[in-house]
Amino acid sequence: MRQLLRFLAALVVAVSGLPAAAGAVDIKTISTPLGIKAWLVQDKSAPAVSLSFSFAGGTASDPEGQLGVTTLMAALLSDGAGTLTSQAFRQRQEDAAASVGFSASLDRLGGSLRVLSANREEGFELLRLALTQPRFDSDMIDQRRAQTIAAINQASQRPASVAARTLMETEFAGHPYANDPDGTPDDLRKLTQQTLKQRAAALLIRNGLVIAAVGDIEEADLARLLDRTFGTLPTGTPPALPPEWNPPTKARTVVVERPVPQSTALLALPGVARDDPDWYAALIMNHVLGGGGQQSRLFTEVREKRGLAYGASSSLRVYKRAALLVMSTASANERVAEALRVVKAELARLRVDGPTEQEIADAKTYLAGALALSLDSSGAIAGLLHSMQVDGLAPDHLTKRAALIAAVKIDDVRRLARRLLRDEALTTVVVGKPVGIASDPL
Amino acid sequence: MLPSSRAPIVNQLVVYKVGSADEVYGKTGIAHFLEHMMFKGTGTVGPTEFSRTVSKNGGRDNAYTSFDTTGYYQTVAPDRLEMVMRMEADRMANLRLTEKELIPERQVVLEERRMRIDNSPAALLGEAVQEQLYGRHKPYGMPISGYIDDVKKLNIHDLAAFYAKWYMPNNAILIVAGDTTADQVRKLAEKHYGPIAARKVDPRRRPGEGASDLPQRVTRADARVAEPRWSRYYLAPSYHKGESQYAYALQVLARLLGGGETSRLWKALVVERKVALSAWASYSPSSLGLTSFDLGVHPASGTPMVEVESAVGGLLGKLLDDGVTAEEVERAQNQLLAAAIYSQDSLQSGPRIYGGALGVGGTVADIDAWPQRIGAVTPAAVVAAARHVWRADGLVTSVLTPQEGMR
Repeated sequence: MRQLLRFLAALVVAVSGLPAAAGAVDIKTISTPLGIKAWLVQDKSAPAVSLSFSFAGGTASDPEGQLGVTTLMAALLSDGAGTLTSQAFRQRQEDAAASVGFSASLDRLGGSLRVLSANREEGFELLRLALTQPRFDSDMIDQRRAQTIAAINQASQRPASVAARTLMETEFAGHPYANDPDGTPDDLRKLTQQTLKQRAAALLIRNGLVIAAVGDIEEADLARLLDRTFGTLPTGTPPALPPEWNPPTKARTVVVERPVPQSTALLALPGVARDDPDWYAALIMNHVLGGGGQQSRLFTEVREKRGLAYGASSSLRVYKRAALLVMSTASANERVAEALRVVKAELARLRVDGPTEQEIADAKTYLAGALALSLDSSGAIAGLLHSMQVDGLAPDHLTKRAALIAAVKIDDVRRLARRLLRDEALTTVVVGKPVGIASDPL
Repeated sequence: MLPSSRAPIVNQLVVYKVGSADEVYGKTGIAHFLEHMMFKGTGTVGPTEFSRTVSKNGGRDNAYTSFDTTGYYQTVAPDRLEMVMRMEADRMANLRLTEKELIPERQVVLEERRMRIDNSPAALLGEAVQEQLYGRHKPYGMPISGYIDDVKKLNIHDLAAFYAKWYMPNNAILIVAGDTTADQVRKLAEKHYGPIAARKVDPRRRPGEGASDLPQRVTRADARVAEPRWSRYYLAPSYHKGESQYAYALQVLARLLGGGETSRLWKALVVERKVALSAWASYSPSSLGLTSFDLGVHPASGTPMVEVESAVGGLLGKLLDDGVTAEEVERAQNQLLAAAIYSQDSLQSGPRIYGGALGVGGTVADIDAWPQRIGAVTPAAVVAAARHVWRADGLVTSVLTPQEGMR
């Protein structure tokens, strides 16, 4: 222990004075003797290894009556494995300055490992135990279940969480994406050790597994550790994809009353799939409308000119079976109707008049540079490598991306704006005590 | 200058040694309002042009206000460092404050407050705790974003006077991290910040004591609360005020008492007695004035607050009576150092650490010595620090509950 302390203390100082080493992102593809595939970016400037991986199948495939099983199972994977109880498992991570964690999204079960490169054998060993011998001890099931139910209760009172939840429920009514990834208290109470173990067995399989690694590790060492960690997982068939999504066909406003001085508003339109030929036009359109920061039309019109809100933005969301364009703002109850009027006017203006040449040019410069800005840590780089694989992109995508963005023409964005920004497809959710806004009848 | 060439980006942070705690009652909210107005243009850069230019050049920018410091930062490609330095230097000296820009921005500031504070019962309770712990209308007892009535009255002259008083190169710290060199940074800084004249800057004052009527208990019963919370805040020394020799041992204490799921509080309350869903402790020593040592518990459904409070009291008493083991001190030290190593992996966190420390009077030597000082903390020092801070007449207890009948 004392030895680790001295080692860590030396590292804190060493890293801050480290000379320049790694440059541009150089992606290597690895295929191990046991057939595990991964992408690796070696970065010797970090004394650590970061792993980001995921399995096919997420909360949207939670079985009927077991809503929340995937999220709870994911939390429990790092709560004890093999002969190690939850406390012992955590202690081993701390002693190695390692952290193993899992979380579920609608479409995938994700995981991560972060460990000092000097302790990588131990880090991968802990990950192997979590993946292959999770315990699901009943006291930990009870603890995580109680925490999850409390978190659901708490979210039901936080305006931003209520708005986010209501938006999903409205936009995806009748589709599994409408369900809360955390589940429902009723279903959570019914989950047993057996249902959790079944869920783990169904999802922790090699088919559909995607892995990205970043840090101070050699290819051969990574291949050996990947085989030891993932190589014994069984093969199988991932859960079926959720059904196709049929977007709402008419505009709808939903108001959720909450006793707060400021109303939180979210607006959604069907968006653009990641493999849509117009994806890069969509990135540009979103940047002009409400992406990126303080230059966008929504920010300028809602905040800068009128002082109606602290934030006004838009973002593209992509799921396996659906895509959304989501606008978000928050304004005093008395002024939120005005803020929404301005947001809707901006959607109409972009649809009718399109963007300007200058806006397109500025968006292209920003988007070309923005990716580099986000690659400022090993974890962030691993996350990017992971999502590129999930999106079905090739390792050389990063070198082609700038050209794909540059190739977008103003007419592509105009056409896309006309296709997407339709009033009749707009879902509006307002949480608070908005003055002058009421729910539409179902 | 913190060099790193892992990605072709640089980060500029300018920290002014002024924050909301340098305001006076009746004019609160100036530091934060001025931070917003710093984006509204100079003689040569138009309103909103600052951020537009950064974005147009593929960069990002933002700013923050705290009790003791105000920071402005941009992340850009290395060849745009000079551009953002020129603009940052420009608004250090040539800010143009106009009524036309101030009026809508006041509403933005108030909306920010509604979002962060007024819409959140926990944040409202937090403001009440600050007021009780440090004293009504005292520097840390007033909200960072100001009292609403003050913000509504602030005018151009208030902001201009505050700007003239605090914004100058000799009251600022420049931190650049990323893919460039110290020589290059020095050259650019001398060119752009160098010509701005230094002026006399007033010393900053923070009280050496907290509120005079402690202990206090603050309770908020709110229909918007779904889950109860119990918290305790002890007045504590910082690196720069009070018995600062305890500052390192207190970081180790917070970690072993309530840093994560292997900590004493979590093990006893969540794992063993099952009276809580989570428990934590925290302590941040980087402040100009006194700080606080905080603990909190999320009680399990059906656990009365008084049971939580007495359980925590028992655990603190046990620590004072029986001490801490060398092993748990070492584990806490390892965790602190590991967290520091991982935070250096991100380009954002380096400037934030240096800016936070230097902005309240710390030195680079202090930051460099931190691992050794944390590593040198002994079990006896941890107990002595706990004894110094956990005093019955230096605390505020807060309770957040759902409104009667709402649960």
